[in-house]
Amino acid sequence: MAGQIKHMIDSIVEQRAKGNPTIALTTKTKLVLKGLNPDRFDSGSPDDPAVITKVKAIAADLGVHV
Amino acid sequence: MPVRTAYSTKELGDAVSDLKKQCGAPQPRVVIYFGSPKYDPRELSRQMKQCFPEACVAGCSSAGEIASGNMMSGSVVAMFLDEDIVEDAACAVVGNLSAEISMADAFATLGRHFQAPLASLDHEKYVGLVLVDGLSGAEERLMEKLGDATDIFFVGGSAGDDLKFQSTPVSENGKTYSNAAVLVLLRVKRGFEIVKTQSFRTTGKTLVATKVEEAHRQVIEFNHRPALDAYAAALGITAEEAPARFFHNPLGLMIAGEPFVRSPQRAEAGTIFFYCQIKEAMELDVLEATDIVADTRQAIAERQAVNGSGNGAGSIRGLIDFQCILRTLQLRDEHRCEQYGSIFRDIPMIGFSTYGEEYLGHVNQTSTILLFR
Repeated sequence: MAGQIKHMIDSIVEQRAKGNPTIALTTKTKLVLKGLNPDRFDSGSPDDPAVITKVKAIAADLGVHV
Repeated sequence: MPVRTAYSTKELGDAVSDLKKQCGAPQPRVVIYFGSPKYDPRELSRQMKQCFPEACVAGCSSAGEIASGNMMSGSVVAMFLDEDIVEDAACAVVGNLSAEISMADAFATLGRHFQAPLASLDHEKYVGLVLVDGLSGAEERLMEKLGDATDIFFVGGSAGDDLKFQSTPVSENGKTYSNAAVLVLLRVKRGFEIVKTQSFRTTGKTLVATKVEEAHRQVIEFNHRPALDAYAAALGITAEEAPARFFHNPLGLMIAGEPFVRSPQRAEAGTIFFYCQIKEAMELDVLEATDIVADTRQAIAERQAVNGSGNGAGSIRGLIDFQCILRTLQLRDEHRCEQYGSIFRDIPMIGFSTYGEEYLGHVNQTSTILLFR
């Protein structure tokens, strides 16, 4: 399987930004500062379990569900 | 009406009176101040609150102060925000930063004041200032907690002490704290902008942190090589030559084309110690320095143009500049403090030389500026 990480990251950004482009950008910045660069993942990225666990933890920190 | 600012180089008791005299009437809603470590921070804080009892008063120690065109040492600078700029304001303290950081008490204090949870406040109307004990080493964790809990922007700096590295307290409403941060939440009347400017461009070379000691801001390996060797190789120099380049060639976490600068502090047995954390697997660009004065001048000019005036300060009513001490040291070395100060000569402003700047995270070698319209 592939693409789950990008889907989860997109979901985090959407839930947090609620359509606001400024908050979308700052949410992406926060992700990079947490060590998760959204630009490194696309729909073909493998579903690495370690990264998925990390994304879930970050989502929990940000108060959103993925 | 522009923001009122003041500075004094007098001794403690006279300095606070001097600031109050320059402030004039009416009483401000918020007082932000930055004081040289020559002043007893507890006494300075107590006297500032005594002088402005109705205001939300916050400040910290500094490693150099700035007030409208003057870069100084041994002074105290202050900004007085009245209802024309700030409709409402509240302060809170986040204590015990060396332990697990909890925002609960501070957010409850601010939420009670504004009668709404912070997460529900409009990020276009509210903005926060954050002043952190500059020796806490906790800025990354603090900013991450803040950013997790709210989309409101908090901008600020890490307190300094003229490079003594002994004591860098923060103050809130007459009290002084170490191992703590002060938050000031403002509901701004007309608007604000945050400007993060740094004078670097990428060399196009990258380093990936492959072994780190995050909590101690150490990178042990880049690209699976001893960090210092990999850094030196990227610059085409020897490991022995590398520390001399730290200042002009820091690393940048590139986000939307803009670097979040991570400045190397020193090297030890092949490991590089930084002024802020680098996480494992982070890819960083090797940067090279450009011109601080020219870049900052351009950044401010762009803001003046956005605000619809090419004449003087335009509609910038005031700004607070959190300027990295490394930039200040460079300006001092190059005898360019006056040139830098001249950028702000027509703008009511204060600032201080920090041990790091805060904007979304902890950054180095920037001027991070909160600008009031």
